[in-house]
Amino acid sequence: MQMNDSQRIPAPRAVVWAALNDPEVLKACIPGCESLEMTSPTEMTAKVQLKVGPVKATFGGKVTLSDLDPPNGYRITGEGSGGVAGFAKGGAVVRLAEDGPDTTILSYEVDAQIGGKLAQLGSRLIDSTARKLAGEFFATFSAVVAPPQETAESPIEEAAPAAEGQAPTKGWFKGLFGRDTAAGVILGLALLAGAFSCCLDGTHAHAADLSICTGASAV
Amino acid sequence: MNEMVITRAEREARLEGMGCKRKRVEDVRFTQGKGQYVDDIKLPGMLHGDFVRSQYAHANIKRIDASKALALPGVVAVITAEELKPLGLHWMPTLAGDVQAVLADGRVSFQNQEIAFVVAENRYIADDAIQLIEVEYEELPVIVDPFRAMDPDAPVLRPDLAGKTTGAHGPRKHHNHIFEWTIGDKSATDDAFANAEVTIKELISYHRTHPSPLETCQCLASFDKIKGELTLYGTFQAPHVIRTVASLLSKIPEHKIHVIAPDIGGGFGNKVGAYAGYICSIVASIVTGLPVKWVEDRMENLSTTSFARDYHMTTEIAATKDGKVTGLRVHVLADHGAFDSCADPSKWPAGFMNIVTGSYDFPVAHLAVDGVYTNKAPGGVAYRCSFRVTEAAYCIERAMDILAQKLGMDPADLRMKNFIRREQFPYQSALGWEYDSGDYHLAMQKAMDAIGYRELRAEQKAKQEAFRRGETREIMGIGVTFFTEIVGAGPSKNCDILGVAMFDSAEIRIHPTGSIIARMGSKSQGQGHETTWAQIIATELGIPADDIMIEEGNTDTAPYGLGTYGSRSTPVAGAAIAMAARKIKNKAQMIAAHLLEVSEYDLEWDIDGFRVKGNPERVKTMKEIAWAAYNSPPPGLEPGLEAVNYYDPPNMTYPFGAYFCVMDIDVDTGVAKIRRFYALDDCGTRINPMIIEGQVHGGLTEAFAIAMGQEIKYDEMGNVQGASFMDFFLPTAVETPHWETDFTVTPSPHHPIGAKGVGESPNVGGVPAFSNAVNDAFGFLGTTHIQMPHDAWRVWEVARRLGLHG
Repeated sequence: MQMNDSQRIPAPRAVVWAALNDPEVLKACIPGCESLEMTSPTEMTAKVQLKVGPVKATFGGKVTLSDLDPPNGYRITGEGSGGVAGFAKGGAVVRLAEDGPDTTILSYEVDAQIGGKLAQLGSRLIDSTARKLAGEFFATFSAVVAPPQETAESPIEEAAPAAEGQAPTKGWFKGLFGRDTAAGVILGLALLAGAFSCCLDGTHAHAADLSICTGASAV
Repeated sequence: MNEMVITRAEREARLEGMGCKRKRVEDVRFTQGKGQYVDDIKLPGMLHGDFVRSQYAHANIKRIDASKALALPGVVAVITAEELKPLGLHWMPTLAGDVQAVLADGRVSFQNQEIAFVVAENRYIADDAIQLIEVEYEELPVIVDPFRAMDPDAPVLRPDLAGKTTGAHGPRKHHNHIFEWTIGDKSATDDAFANAEVTIKELISYHRTHPSPLETCQCLASFDKIKGELTLYGTFQAPHVIRTVASLLSKIPEHKIHVIAPDIGGGFGNKVGAYAGYICSIVASIVTGLPVKWVEDRMENLSTTSFARDYHMTTEIAATKDGKVTGLRVHVLADHGAFDSCADPSKWPAGFMNIVTGSYDFPVAHLAVDGVYTNKAPGGVAYRCSFRVTEAAYCIERAMDILAQKLGMDPADLRMKNFIRREQFPYQSALGWEYDSGDYHLAMQKAMDAIGYRELRAEQKAKQEAFRRGETREIMGIGVTFFTEIVGAGPSKNCDILGVAMFDSAEIRIHPTGSIIARMGSKSQGQGHETTWAQIIATELGIPADDIMIEEGNTDTAPYGLGTYGSRSTPVAGAAIAMAARKIKNKAQMIAAHLLEVSEYDLEWDIDGFRVKGNPERVKTMKEIAWAAYNSPPPGLEPGLEAVNYYDPPNMTYPFGAYFCVMDIDVDTGVAKIRRFYALDDCGTRINPMIIEGQVHGGLTEAFAIAMGQEIKYDEMGNVQGASFMDFFLPTAVETPHWETDFTVTPSPHHPIGAKGVGESPNVGGVPAFSNAVNDAFGFLGTTHIQMPHDAWRVWEVARRLGLHG
């Protein structure tokens, strides 16, 4: 499956970059995220509990970062397994662009493959579920990185203990520039986004895609 | 004296014999929830089995760790290929001459393939245990597109066949090639094309689908260690074949295997084969000494046991400018999945695909079929059709429409022009069949008149013009189909399953008081045999159908038969019933002659007994004869009144029909509304018109499903899509159109009662009728062939690509 989108984040690019690399922020923003742990400077593991249609499972995943270009973006690849529920693997390219001093455009291109029971049962729900969860992620994320006065009621505020005594914005993320952790969000997205390119918005119950998409024969 | 006033008509009506709209006797229990299905059977101490299945479509299995599962209280055993190896049961032969892994032997070749069989005290524990079994995979490249299967660099899907250049059906051209099967005169056909005035060529694909009976495949194996006997209850369309296969595989003598198929909730071909679940249940019962039940869930059924179709047919017709066909050339790429477990008679790797010349007088034809392996579930059963007949009918019926479009001819007129004529029967087809009987022109004309065909075409023309002027967003399609089936396998000279000739059988026993029990080699899965078989006997023997009990599905009591599929029950078992009844009637005539003190030759049959010719008052009813048969038989004649017949048909039967579908398609939503569907069937002699009508309704509903949306699809990783009723289109009463049925009667000349079989005709004829209607609707906008299934999304997409959305 592929999922390409972009989000306008009400924060400077450096702040967004920092937040994207903060495991605590990511853990709080990824719906269902149970843990995010660094295993090396460019590798991490994550656990995310997902429910897609009738399939509910905890996915354990491994993520690797590459093409690091702070604060412009990077490429991440990863794979996760949910036991009998299925598995996911794939990657994403994430780009950050400035849109004025206080706004950042975050764009992402996810290319993931979903397999096993999740792909069988949840296939026509995966895309809509992924978009819903991505929406939840960015809503929380935007609230976290936006200027503090606007996030006074953010449920995430207390999720940033490292920020204590630091300067507002940037200081929140001091010492947490472990870029590795940013992968968690994409792992989440990849897991959420799931499946296949043609028709996953749930509008046609039986359809899946045109036979031409299978690469078989067809008109 | 009142009883003397009964008229002949009343006597006949009382029998409820052939031609009577007798209500289905089995429905008394079905409609009250009193059917006895496999899952209703509960034996003391019974264990439950369930499978660990592959997440991947193609992978090596590096490790299976069942230790956590075995530690779970209530888990009795976990069986893997390693446990089956010493028994030689980790692989099993298929009906198609291939072998299939019972449990994955180091490699999985399709998603949801069986890896391990968990046996537990109940199904919940078994399911929990499955979650605890760790399987480590090493992923391998996947092939789901049959057109890539024979690429030079295609991954090897069957390493177990490495180096084998010959398969069960001849040479293999590639490591993923199964067989090539050809028939017909190639050079004469090539000549016909070289000299043709007009030709068409189209790739016509019939997508992969599934019979999806509401009751899934299941069994209950119970091995008695003391007696060394195995009782196997199961959803078996062919119980005796299962017994023979079970005996050959398990080495348990056949007389010590008792196969019982109780009520079955639909089969449609899905329940013909032998599956891993059966083998594993039997092994588990032998190992544990306890009964073991295995019941597929819906996803397992749709994704593992016996898909149907997946035929990709490159079809060419040669014709004259005025529309006379001169040749047919078809190449089929057949996707058989990971193992060739296609359920066809052994010598027919592509079934009866060579019925592809259809109802038309093709002077020459040639057919080649290449079967290939892919990383998809194995199977290839005849889903409510005779072997590959629905593929053949779809192929020729689509192609005839494409030819009509190219010639600018009306598709009904083109068919009329090329029909085999009534006087040509028995007709030798260019691909080797002898059609028994038919009157195609009569049937087609009756259908065209009934539906008002010419008026519909005029209306369609007006609507097309209105569409072009922008006055409507609807386009109208008229689907024309005229199909010929080939059913009733079959003559033992060319049809067998694993060497067992495809005869069938009946045993009829009349009790002293004149009621009857009859046992059959066939096995109803909803066809209504308990009703219709009794009607044949009622007419043949003059005993009311209500006094006749039909018993099927117990291999201990029933005579050996090949079971029910491929519309073979009426043509084969139905004939066996009539022949067994006639044996009884011959003996009854001797007894009647003795009782009436006349010569046998002075007697004639009259509805329910024998009467003396010229003296109709002197009668012995069959009931009186039955009593005498036991208690006062003629001197020298053995007592009793019963007979067995094993019937080996001299030929197949060839039912046919004319189907018309009228639909209106909204180009903005892609929704196709079926305005009318008219089905005229000719199945020869009609045993029970109401059951025929019910069969046609059911078959048309399945055809509607297949043509308009039902599909088992795979993504490029080999993930099976559509393996649940969320995604797999199973129409309910809400979606199902209204059906109009009609008939003509052209008896089969070689069948004892002239019947041909009907259960599968509506699936065979219905699919092309729907598809032709969709194609007919879009044809005036420039399309020649739109692939099935025609769900609203795909139809909308066609409209979009034609630029109809502005």
